[in-house]
Amino acid sequence: MSIDPTALAVEGSFAPADDRASQAPSRSLIRQAYHDTLSSVGARIGLAWLFLLLFFAVFAPFLANSHPYAAKINGKWSFPAFTFLTPSDVLLLVAVAVAATLFFWRRFTFLQSIGILSGILLIAAVPVRHWVKPPDVDVLERYRDYQAQGEIQHAIYAPIPYSPQDRLRDQPDARLRPPSRKHWAGTDTNGADVFSMLLHASRIALSIGFLATAISLVIGIIYGAVMGYFVGVTDLIAMRIIEIVDSIPTLFLLIAITAFIEKRNIYVLMAVIGAISWTGYARFIRAEFFTIRKLDYVQAAVAAGLPKRIILFRHMLANALTPILVSSTFGVASAILYESILSFLGIGLVDEASWGVLLQQARAGGAGFVWWIALFPGAAIFLTVFAYNLVGEAIRDALDPKLRKRD
Amino acid sequence: MSQPPVEHRVPASRPGGFPLKSTPVPLLEIRDLSVGFETNRGLVRPVNNVSLSIYPGQTVALVGESGCGKSVTSLSILRLIPQPPGRVLGGEILLQGRDLLALSEREMRSVRGKDIAMIFQEPMTSLNPVYTIGDQIAEAVTLHQGVSQRAAYTIAEEALNDVGISDAHRRLHEYPHQMSGGMRQRVMIAMALSCKPKLLIADEPTTALDVTIQAQILELLRKLQRERGMSILLITHDLGVVAENADAVGVMYASRIVEFATVEDLFDRPQHPYTEGLFRSVPKLGTTVDRLETIPGMVPNPMHFPNGCKFHPRCARTRQCAAAVEAGNAVFPAGANIPKEVAPAKDGEGATFAVLKKCATVEPALREVQGGHWAACHVIENFDAAPVTVPRLDHRREVVPATVEGDALVT
Repeated sequence: MSIDPTALAVEGSFAPADDRASQAPSRSLIRQAYHDTLSSVGARIGLAWLFLLLFFAVFAPFLANSHPYAAKINGKWSFPAFTFLTPSDVLLLVAVAVAATLFFWRRFTFLQSIGILSGILLIAAVPVRHWVKPPDVDVLERYRDYQAQGEIQHAIYAPIPYSPQDRLRDQPDARLRPPSRKHWAGTDTNGADVFSMLLHASRIALSIGFLATAISLVIGIIYGAVMGYFVGVTDLIAMRIIEIVDSIPTLFLLIAITAFIEKRNIYVLMAVIGAISWTGYARFIRAEFFTIRKLDYVQAAVAAGLPKRIILFRHMLANALTPILVSSTFGVASAILYESILSFLGIGLVDEASWGVLLQQARAGGAGFVWWIALFPGAAIFLTVFAYNLVGEAIRDALDPKLRKRD
Repeated sequence: MSQPPVEHRVPASRPGGFPLKSTPVPLLEIRDLSVGFETNRGLVRPVNNVSLSIYPGQTVALVGESGCGKSVTSLSILRLIPQPPGRVLGGEILLQGRDLLALSEREMRSVRGKDIAMIFQEPMTSLNPVYTIGDQIAEAVTLHQGVSQRAAYTIAEEALNDVGISDAHRRLHEYPHQMSGGMRQRVMIAMALSCKPKLLIADEPTTALDVTIQAQILELLRKLQRERGMSILLITHDLGVVAENADAVGVMYASRIVEFATVEDLFDRPQHPYTEGLFRSVPKLGTTVDRLETIPGMVPNPMHFPNGCKFHPRCARTRQCAAAVEAGNAVFPAGANIPKEVAPAKDGEGATFAVLKKCATVEPALREVQGGHWAACHVIENFDAAPVTVPRLDHRREVVPATVEGDALVT
C-alpha cells in the first residue's frame, strides 16, 4: 500500500493545532452561546420565572378550576374537571407531552423536533376538535351547592377551586373581597377569584408574546433578507417604507388599528402587534446581510452552484440570526406589554381575562381603585417583562464575541 | 480561428495514469474578454481583451501583481462578478464550445460547482461557520448529483479522505472553527472536487497559508489533478508556485495578458519587459546580491491607465531604446516597425524621462511572436508580422520524477 506523504505530515509534526482542536468536544457556536447563557444568574432567574409561567399556562385548568377533579355524586363517580377541558386545553397538553418526550429522548435535532411537534399537533388537532366537546360552562358554585345538600359524597378539588369564569355568576357576598385564605389574591367586582384569573391569563400573555413576535419575525426576516440581498432600488424603496412605518409611534398605530376592529380576540391582537413591530428585525437582517453577502463563504456558495433561495435563507440567514435572537426576546416582552396596554385602555381583549384587562378592572369596576386587582397582575406583567429582558441580555452577552471568555 | 503551430514537448503518458494524448479541443477558451465596473467616476476596465485557453488536464497559471485583473478574470468565468456594478463588456468564454456568458442564470448554476469549481484565497472565511463541514460538502453533492443525503455524506467522506484528512468520518461532524487553515483549505478542495469538476479555478489557494502547508496543498492539487485529469486555472502572484505547478503561464499586467507561453519557455526566454522585471525581482539560489531589483513605479490605477502600452512608464526596455534613439545609435529588433521618435513620460514619483513614442501612443496587441509564445511588446523581433491569435498551448510540463512519484516517495 502506498503511503500518502501529505497525510503523514498532517498526522505528524505539522498538526498540533488540529489535534488540540479535535480533543474539544464538537461544539457549535450556538451550543457554546447556549451554555454561556445558562451560566448567567440573571438568565437563570428569568428562565425560572418563565418556566413557572409556562407551567401555570399549561396546567391552568388543573390548578384553578371550580370543577372538582373527581366527584362522587349520588353514588356515581364523575370527573368534571376533565369533561370540561376545551380542545385547546387538550392540544396544549399533547404538545407539552410530545415536546417533553422529544427533549428528553434527544434523538432528533432542534429543527427536526420542531417539525415533528408541529406535525403531531396538526394531525392531533382533527380528532381533538371532533371529539372534545366540553359542555357549556354553567353555574360553577353548583358543586358546592350539591355538597351543601349532601349530594356529593366525595370531591377532590383543584388547589384553587375557582374558575376565571366564576365572575359570570352574580354573587353579592363574594364581590371585591380583599386577599384572604379563601381567595389568595382577592376577588373582583364580579366575584371572580383574581388568582385563578391570573393563572389563566398567563396563557394569553405567553401566547401573545410568542406568536406576535413570531409573526413580526417572519415578516421582518423575509423583508430584511430581500432588502439586504437585492441592494439598490429594491433596498431604497423598501427602506423608505420602513421609515414611514417607523415614523408613526407604535402605540398610536396599535390603538388606531385596534380601535377600528370590532371583533377583537387574541388572534387579532397577535396579528396587529406582529404586523407593526417587524421593522426592527428587518433593519437588523438588512444590516447583517450587507456584511454577509460580501463574505467569502457566500461567494463560495454561489460558486458551488447553490440556488439563490438556499444561499439566502440557509447560508446567509443562519449567520444573521444571532442579533435577531436577542432582539426577539425583547420583542416578546414588548408584545406582552402592548397587549396589557391595549387591554388596560379597554381596546384589547373582550370577554377574556388578561393581565391588562385585570389592571383595567382595578380602576374601572365602579368601586374606586382596588389595590389587589392592580397589584398582582401588575406584578405578573412586570416580572414577565423583566424575565424576558434578563434572558435577552444574557443571550446578547453570550453571543457578543467581545464579551466571550476565551478558553 | 487558426490553430497556431504548437511545439509539443510532452511525454507519451503521464505517471498517474491520465492519458496524455489529449483532444486538440481546449476545455475552456476565453476570447477577447473585457469586464467593466461602473463607478461614480466612470467606467473602470479591470479586464481588457483577455484571451487564453485551457486544455483538459492542463494547469494554466495567471500571474500578476495585485489589481492586475487576474481575479476578476477568474470570477467572470463563473459569472461571479457582482452585477451591477460589474458588467461583461465583450468577449466569449467557451466551455467545450458552450458560451458561458450566454447561459441563463439557471443553466449557469448547473455549471458552477459541477463543471467548474472554485477554491478561494481565504480558507478561514470560505466555509460557513454555522454548518458542519459534512453538511457543506453534502449540500453541493446532493444538488449536483441528485443523490440521497446518506449517499452524499459517503461521497463527502471519500472526498475528505482524498484530500488527506485523516479520521474523515469524525471530521464530517466538525465545524470550520475547529480546524486549522491548512485543514480548511483541504476541506475547500474536497468540497470543490466532490462533484468531479472538469476545471478547478484556484484563486491564490496558498496565499493565506504558511509555507510548509503551502507545499502540501500544492502537492495535493497536483496529485488530485493527476488522478482525475482535471484542468486547473491557477491564479497566483508567486512565481515559485508557477514554476512548480503550471504547464502554461499567462502574465497579466494592468488588465491585459502581456505574455503567454509554456512554463519552460517563459522561464527560459521571457519576451516581455514586465516578465523580465518580475524574474529579476526574485532571488536566485547561488547568487549573492545586496538588493534585489525592483520594477520602478506602481501598478497603474485602473481609473486612469496610461495611453499606449500600459507598462511604458515603468518599462526599462523602452527607456534604453529611447536613450539609444537620442544618442543616435538605436538598433531595433528585425521585424519591429518602430519609428525613431521619443516622447516624454512620467513615472509615479513625477520624474520625467524619454520613452519610445510608439510605446506611449500605440497599445501593442498580444501576438504570437514565436511558435507557442505570445507577447505584447513593440520591441520584440518580428512583432508586427506576428499573428494575433488566442493563446493555445496543448502542452504539459515534464515533471520532475521525485515530485511525481510523491505517493511512493522514499524519504
